[in-house]
Amino acid sequence: MRKIEPILDVKNLYTRFYTESGVVEALDGVNFDVGYGEPVGIVGESGCGKTVTSHSVLRILPKNGRILQPPSEIYYKGVNLLDLTDEQMRHVRGKEAAMIFQDPMTSLNPIFKISDQMVEVIQLHRKVNKNEARDIAIEMMEAVGIPDSAERIDNYPHQFSGGMRQRILIARALALQPSLLIADEPTTALDVTIQAQVLEIIKEMQKQFGLALMLITHNLGVVAEITKRVHIFYGGRVVESGPTEEIFVNPFHPYTRALFDSIPSLEQDKTRLETIPGTVPQLINPPQGCRFHPRCKYATEICRMARPPDVWVTETRRVQCHHWEELDLTIDKEKVKEVRRSTVSVEGV
Amino acid sequence: MRSFEEYEVLDTDLFSAWDPDKFPILETKNLKKWFPVAEQSLLYSKTVNFIKAVDGVNLFLHKGETLGLVGESGCGKSTTSKTIIKLEEPTEGSVYFKGIDMFQPMTRVEELAIKRQIQMVFQDPYASLNPRRMVLDIIKEPFDIHFADMPYEEKEARVLEILSKVGLEDYHALRYPHEFSGGQRQRIGIARALAMNPEVILLDEPVSALDVSVQAQILNLLHDLQIDFKLTYMFIAHDLSVIKHVSDRVAVMYLGKIMEMAPTGELFRNTAHPYTIALLSAIPRPDPRIKMDRIILEGDPPSPINTPSGCPFHPRCWKAKEVCSQKQPPLEEIRPNHYVSCWFPEI
Repeated sequence: MRKIEPILDVKNLYTRFYTESGVVEALDGVNFDVGYGEPVGIVGESGCGKTVTSHSVLRILPKNGRILQPPSEIYYKGVNLLDLTDEQMRHVRGKEAAMIFQDPMTSLNPIFKISDQMVEVIQLHRKVNKNEARDIAIEMMEAVGIPDSAERIDNYPHQFSGGMRQRILIARALALQPSLLIADEPTTALDVTIQAQVLEIIKEMQKQFGLALMLITHNLGVVAEITKRVHIFYGGRVVESGPTEEIFVNPFHPYTRALFDSIPSLEQDKTRLETIPGTVPQLINPPQGCRFHPRCKYATEICRMARPPDVWVTETRRVQCHHWEELDLTIDKEKVKEVRRSTVSVEGV
Repeated sequence: MRSFEEYEVLDTDLFSAWDPDKFPILETKNLKKWFPVAEQSLLYSKTVNFIKAVDGVNLFLHKGETLGLVGESGCGKSTTSKTIIKLEEPTEGSVYFKGIDMFQPMTRVEELAIKRQIQMVFQDPYASLNPRRMVLDIIKEPFDIHFADMPYEEKEARVLEILSKVGLEDYHALRYPHEFSGGQRQRIGIARALAMNPEVILLDEPVSALDVSVQAQILNLLHDLQIDFKLTYMFIAHDLSVIKHVSDRVAVMYLGKIMEMAPTGELFRNTAHPYTIALLSAIPRPDPRIKMDRIILEGDPPSPINTPSGCPFHPRCWKAKEVCSQKQPPLEEIRPNHYVSCWFPEI
């Protein structure tokens, strides 16, 4: 469907966790891709498989997690990561695909100086001596906006605030010049004003280095801000994919629609919110057929019986629903263009 | 043996001096809560400084309204609410409930009567329910404390009635908290707060631990309960879109102080305080069509131990002048019901 070869192409990814209470079907045939230099969002509620996806891609699953092979395939620059040896995989992690995690408090070792933690990573993957590595680290810290980097690099993690620590993690990830950055809820632990600072840096770095970005988040605002394309996850499957602007203006899948209707808006006044009945499914005994059917108002017999196929509705938009034809799925091209032009300033809110 | 109704008569007598049309149901006057920071050595421990968690907060709630309290982490939102329900003793100032100073010496009967009428729902539905007690016991506990002589059957009947009000079934009463999802647990927390038929409920981030689709269910439930029971809410949150959705009035806090307080529409339309403006502009909107002229604040909020002199926001404020670092601006009414603490508000 897409003409340009993607940097990351995940096909039929099945990840299972074997626990005492049963087999968790965490990922159940996930298909998605990330293009070269493209910022892509992975969106979903807790337990939908967002984080498991990123851990599967980097093959850092816990011991009880298995990627079923066949049929799972994870192509990174045309190479199936699942065929690589552990040694080869170590070169992919960090050097090719770097990751930043949700909690900036626990991702840094509290008993080592920032300089030690950054130099170690840089020397592991790049052929530089200690001083050069330190210079690279300082340069990266300056790039992400840490004042007095040359002195502060010798501080310990506890001497930095949450926002600053997240900047350090971004600097450390980018120091290896990766082609793909996986950011797992990078701003969830931060306050709004600090979140705005960090998002600005991620946006800037993405453009400056031409990074492919896989941004995992539950915050629809963050996704709208940064990404060009988005994959909506539900219950371990991708229910909808497409350009961010189109999906946010005109969602197809009943879940995506309900999700957008259930968030309170700063722009409109509503007295009651639309709700999705029930809760997110348990993946130990997931619902048969379409995993959204127990909560879906369009659900019929076929939804209970069979898994819906992936359907390409347009060149760029894919939806996983039996009833996509019956839903009003027309894209109002004019409407999309019209609103893209309008801007809202702070005063207009 | 006293019945539930008899207790209500007692309450009415206690608060007879209060006139709901003229006075707020709950009011804090110059409320301060400072936590001492001690310097420890082998021989002595002395207080060297204070964390000024709440530093002179004046808030009021009228009967039946929802006051949204918003601010970033560490600004003193939770400490304010904990002081209001008497979990903390204020360093200075006081809290008035229906005109009665809650921190004056009072009899046990009076104290219980006030505590019955102010209840709280906590943020984390996983940590705020005792995992070893059945839902029935969790919700029944307030009855055991306040109405010890009420017959068991009546207590049980009331628990079931409350459960149905928050959308849970009778059989849920005999289950343990771990058998419920996050949203259902928050319903149990709300049921426990409702048990004493309170007038005021303090909601401390009641939906921030929940998924978006479940959050909407709880917000709707809170809205319905407010109408059914004529409740007054103080709704604490850091998410401004939730605050805008639920509140009649909004108060913005920063470093233990109220920066701005106004009716919701007024606050979002005619924002006056630079901090509120920056806060509003920082929220990522879930709509790619909106391009924001964003004001990005420099730096982090200062620590509440070494609060800046004058206006606490001045080191990050783009409008700050000399006076801002010298004198703390008073909370002034710049328009009817619109209070701002700033020397140079946007008008």
